[in-house]
Amino acid sequence: MSRPSLYSVARLALGVIFLIASLDKIIHPQPFSEMIYNYRLLPDKVVNLSALVLPWMELVLGLLLTLGRALPGSVVLSNLLLLAFFGALMFNLARGLNIHCGCFSTDPSGDPATWWYVTRDTGFLVLGGYLFLKTILSKQSPAARKTK
Amino acid sequence: MVRFVTRALGQALLIALIGAALALTVNQFREEGLPLVGDWSAEARFTDDSGQDMTVSLDRARELHQQGALFLDTRSSELFEQGHIAGARNLPWESFDRMFGEIMSDTAPERDIIAYCDGESCNLSHELAITLKALGFSKVKVLVNGWTVWREAGLPVENNSAGEGS
Repeated sequence: MSRPSLYSVARLALGVIFLIASLDKIIHPQPFSEMIYNYRLLPDKVVNLSALVLPWMELVLGLLLTLGRALPGSVVLSNLLLLAFFGALMFNLARGLNIHCGCFSTDPSGDPATWWYVTRDTGFLVLGGYLFLKTILSKQSPAARKTK
Repeated sequence: MVRFVTRALGQALLIALIGAALALTVNQFREEGLPLVGDWSAEARFTDDSGQDMTVSLDRARELHQQGALFLDTRSSELFEQGHIAGARNLPWESFDRMFGEIMSDTAPERDIIAYCDGESCNLSHELAITLKALGFSKVKVLVNGWTVWREAGLPVENNSAGEGS
């Protein structure tokens, strides 16, 4: 099989997305903590902890997805994170809070969260959802397991 | 199916724990590591680099307004045009680099300056105040939740259609 399957392409894409998203936030935890604070969703006490742990979780997920290891767990956790990010973004858009996404960069000088972020995050969710379904199906069907 | 779910959740938990362990370990050894529990009170958020409180009370802001302090509105130009503190100039934080020269060229470094935006969580005025301080403007203060508290106190406001000084 020389042609890469759609599944591997999607897995690599999501892996690279997580890797890219994690780096700037790992390097700059302080501005990232301010962005999390600005979302006004978490209690003050866990803002810093989230700012520290989330990017590293993204890095580990990115590596696992890219390498194709521990896929059931990394696909499930990726989807949980994507859903949480999407929910946070939508919630603040709905209540009209004018904030920065903080998705890939901790630089606050760009445009604040807009529909572009929503569209992009929807794309990520589709990617994650596809991987999730494929992962479940491949584990469930004995035929799929044999061909794998 | 159950086995798959248990396995997936187990792995997910393990990945989260590895991420957390890496994060905490690296943070421990970083020079500029974050405290695990941050102080996000208004007082702590609105201090300058030397730890000095940058906030100004509404009463003091009103006095300074009467004495001719410069009010800087850091919100977007659309919001500014809809209404702002009387006499304020608009310096949106996202356009700072572009607009700084034009807005601040006639302002002496020792002039009283009050930066404001809107909402308790708005950090724009704080960012602006810190930047202005670093640029040599020594008397910069932040009016927290400025537009709302000023308007609710019935202090002078204006919008662009109403003209100056209304």
